[in-house]
Amino acid sequence: MGKPKFYDFCVHAAPDGDNTIEELASLARHFGYSGIALTNHSDRLPDKKPALPLIEGFEVFRGIELVEENPSKLHGLIGKFRNSTDVLIVHGGSEAVNRAALENPRVDILNHPAFDKSSGLNQVLAKAAADNGVAIGITLRPLLHSRGSRRIRMLSDLRENLELARKYEVSLVLCSDAMSCFDLRSPMETLDFAEVCGLEEDEALDAISTVPERILKKNRPGPGYIREGVEVLEGEDIF
Amino acid sequence: MKRLLPSLRAKKRYLAFELISEEPASRSDIVREVISSASSLLGDVTTSNCGIKVLGFEKGKGIIQCSHTKVKETRASLAALTRINGKRATIHVLGTSGTVKGATEKFLQN
Repeated sequence: MGKPKFYDFCVHAAPDGDNTIEELASLARHFGYSGIALTNHSDRLPDKKPALPLIEGFEVFRGIELVEENPSKLHGLIGKFRNSTDVLIVHGGSEAVNRAALENPRVDILNHPAFDKSSGLNQVLAKAAADNGVAIGITLRPLLHSRGSRRIRMLSDLRENLELARKYEVSLVLCSDAMSCFDLRSPMETLDFAEVCGLEEDEALDAISTVPERILKKNRPGPGYIREGVEVLEGEDIF
Repeated sequence: MKRLLPSLRAKKRYLAFELISEEPASRSDIVREVISSASSLLGDVTTSNCGIKVLGFEKGKGIIQCSHTKVKETRASLAALTRINGKRATIHVLGTSGTVKGATEKFLQN
């Protein structure tokens, strides 16, 4: 096994965040990431699709973070954006939205599931997430920027979700949710921070490299892909 | 006084870091913010065990000393630092070493 590749699947660039995608991409590359996904909020999209920068040895994936209160409209948006994006994130925050996102296998990640006095997940939703292959996003920015009672609240939500995820084998994704260059953290520091927040070492590593790779593979099928588990392999010396 | 043998001294790790910030900061600003971020994230007891010291800082790069068993906690509290003097800032750890010389040669000279 070689060196793991690190991905940050939730980065917001201008006009959603403060910095341009070029600045974010070059800083992420300097930090040692192999790729980031540009996931601007769907309610603050620019009129035309931004061009993704081409940097050698680094990939910028097209993604989106859907913000929608109405579950049936959310399903519509998922259908609309699914084919043009590599990473599809749903911005959770209410029982109905969380449920709609976790029961839709076309969603990749659910971010910010917590609301009011709930961590956002429960036994039923965790099971749905595992069945549909939707990952739960652990976002760094709110954890880094708050202190005291607010952070304590978020960390206990995180711990609750973590226990559910372990029980039902839900995948986790660690991402920065960066709104500017100053919100990006290097992979090593992200891993250490996650471990201090209660993740195990291998869980954190999976959440920042293996799970993102799996999401990419799912959304960028090879040329002979027919359906899940069925693929036409070309060449003579396969066996 | 006779110097303590290297094997008897408390083991340390030295983290070479660079500061990415909106405005330049001084060593004392960094010390204050690192300690406050660590005590907020880890609590005062764990922070005291980490033994965090900012050894030197110039031209945006420097070295932080910590206990060799608490590297993870120290890095996490450096990651939790978001502002210096109210201006946005990030500390990026370039690498860790067991000696100041090693950290300087490997990560700070180029």
